[in-house]
Amino acid sequence: MKTLEKSSTKVRKHEGSGSGNDTSELMQSLINSVRDYAIILLDTEGHVLTWNSAAERLKGWTAGEIIGKHFSVFYPPEDVENGKTQLELQTAAREGRFEDEGWRVRKDGTRFWANVIVTALRNKNGVLQGFGKVTRDLTERRANEERISRQAQELMEMASVPIVQVWEGVVLVPLIGMLDSQRTQQLMERLLQKITETGSPIALVDITGVPTIDTQTAQHLIETVSAVRLLGAEVVLTGLRPMIAQTLVHLGVDLSNVVTRASLVAGFRMALDRLNLAVTSKGQAV
Amino acid sequence: MNGNDTVSVTKVRDVLMVTMPADPDDSMIDSLQERVLQAMERYSPKGVILDISSVETLDSFFARTISETARMVTLMGGRTIVVGMQPLVAVTATQMGLTLGDLETALSVDRALDRYGVQASGQKGRG
Amino acid sequence: MSTATGNWSTGELSIKGDGDIVVARRAVRQAATQLGFSQSEVARIVTAASEIARNVYRYAGEGVMRWCPVEKGGQRAIEVRFVDHGPGIANVELALTEGYSTGGGLGMGLPGAKRLTDELEIDSKVGQGTTVILRKWRAKEGHVRN
Repeated sequence: MKTLEKSSTKVRKHEGSGSGNDTSELMQSLINSVRDYAIILLDTEGHVLTWNSAAERLKGWTAGEIIGKHFSVFYPPEDVENGKTQLELQTAAREGRFEDEGWRVRKDGTRFWANVIVTALRNKNGVLQGFGKVTRDLTERRANEERISRQAQELMEMASVPIVQVWEGVVLVPLIGMLDSQRTQQLMERLLQKITETGSPIALVDITGVPTIDTQTAQHLIETVSAVRLLGAEVVLTGLRPMIAQTLVHLGVDLSNVVTRASLVAGFRMALDRLNLAVTSKGQAV
Repeated sequence: MNGNDTVSVTKVRDVLMVTMPADPDDSMIDSLQERVLQAMERYSPKGVILDISSVETLDSFFARTISETARMVTLMGGRTIVVGMQPLVAVTATQMGLTLGDLETALSVDRALDRYGVQASGQKGRG
Repeated sequence: MSTATGNWSTGELSIKGDGDIVVARRAVRQAATQLGFSQSEVARIVTAASEIARNVYRYAGEGVMRWCPVEKGGQRAIEVRFVDHGPGIANVELALTEGYSTGGGLGMGLPGAKRLTDELEIDSKVGQGTTVILRKWRAKEGHVRN
């Protein structure tokens, strides 16, 4: 195998690495044949001493190109600037090992998400001889995780928001997640239907469950307010916490035509007010 | 719901009740304006209640006529309240970018009558 | 007007009077409903068709509306085509911008129709006439297309 020969360059023999040459050759073969793990050796300063075929496949460099170079070439420039590479070696030297998940860089400059374990290698007197570095490409696993998390998010958002009547004349829409065109369509249809069915002039739309507000969601909220107005009802937008208020102003969204309140309680109070209703105490609270 | 195919204009106490059919053609929509203005002149009502609860399609021409008519009614000293827009019509209009400006709207004829202070059935409805 | 019984999804109708705008709406409503569009999708294509039909009548005096289903890649659309030999539109891009109008009011209804449909094609030559094609694709199960 061509790659095998190319990669099987200087292997520093470690003390206690096994009994005899057979095992040593077999170990060599293992390191070279393993496809999923880039297994390399670094000297005490971090220069590359050995390379395996997986390392070539994963990172792009051939053994001839990389041996002797400092392992910081595998890292994104911002990590090198922050001194991450030195930190890894220092931690490994101190603790025996260092494990990390993060971005690494290939020869062509592209990035991949990696799991990296750096192990300090010492002789039987405890003197640091170098480091072993095992790198695994987690790009696919990370993509899967992101996809699952995104799908979970979408599923949660797709689940219909309940629209409930909370008082005679008042319906409540507790929004969760962001509003895209599809959700807005469904929301408007269902909200307007509920308003018509219940004869509710006030719709409390609470955005406490909306994590961040972007221009699209804000526009869709305004759209919803317009549609409700056409019916003869009114939206009171509640749950405008400080961060949302800041974002809305920074985005230049014009909500001056909309009644808004920071809390649902305040919004409900306003709704009752509009309906000429008041809450009275019956006496001592229970 | 209006089963007729025509625009009906009725005087209820001091208010003009105008009911639109399900799918009025352009000449009916034009006549809406004419008849409302004539009635404004003849009866000097407090205003108009335009019931569009039967209307299936609201396009820009219809919306524009309603807006214009309302402005004319205002000039003649009256008020206009549009009542009963169907949810689907409202959603479509909004998606098209249609607004009725600052035209008043109400959920039902009863509520619109309340605003005029007219007790049509002898009972005060909810606000 | 198409008199084919049972199959309303294809047809042709001439627009000669303002009464024909209503007829156009009803034809498109029947066609879209028969093709399985949801109520909200029907409302959109009918409203868009109403706008263009009125344009044809008001600006060209007369024209033709043709409609038919379209299939592409397993998806289905309704296509409504308006052809007239009227004065044509000098500046199509301008006509498509919101708020533009030569006739007073809300503009030619083109921007509105564009918002409500998935595809809107205009081919117009001054002095020769205009063709407007509207297409609305049917949503897959469980999705709402906008």
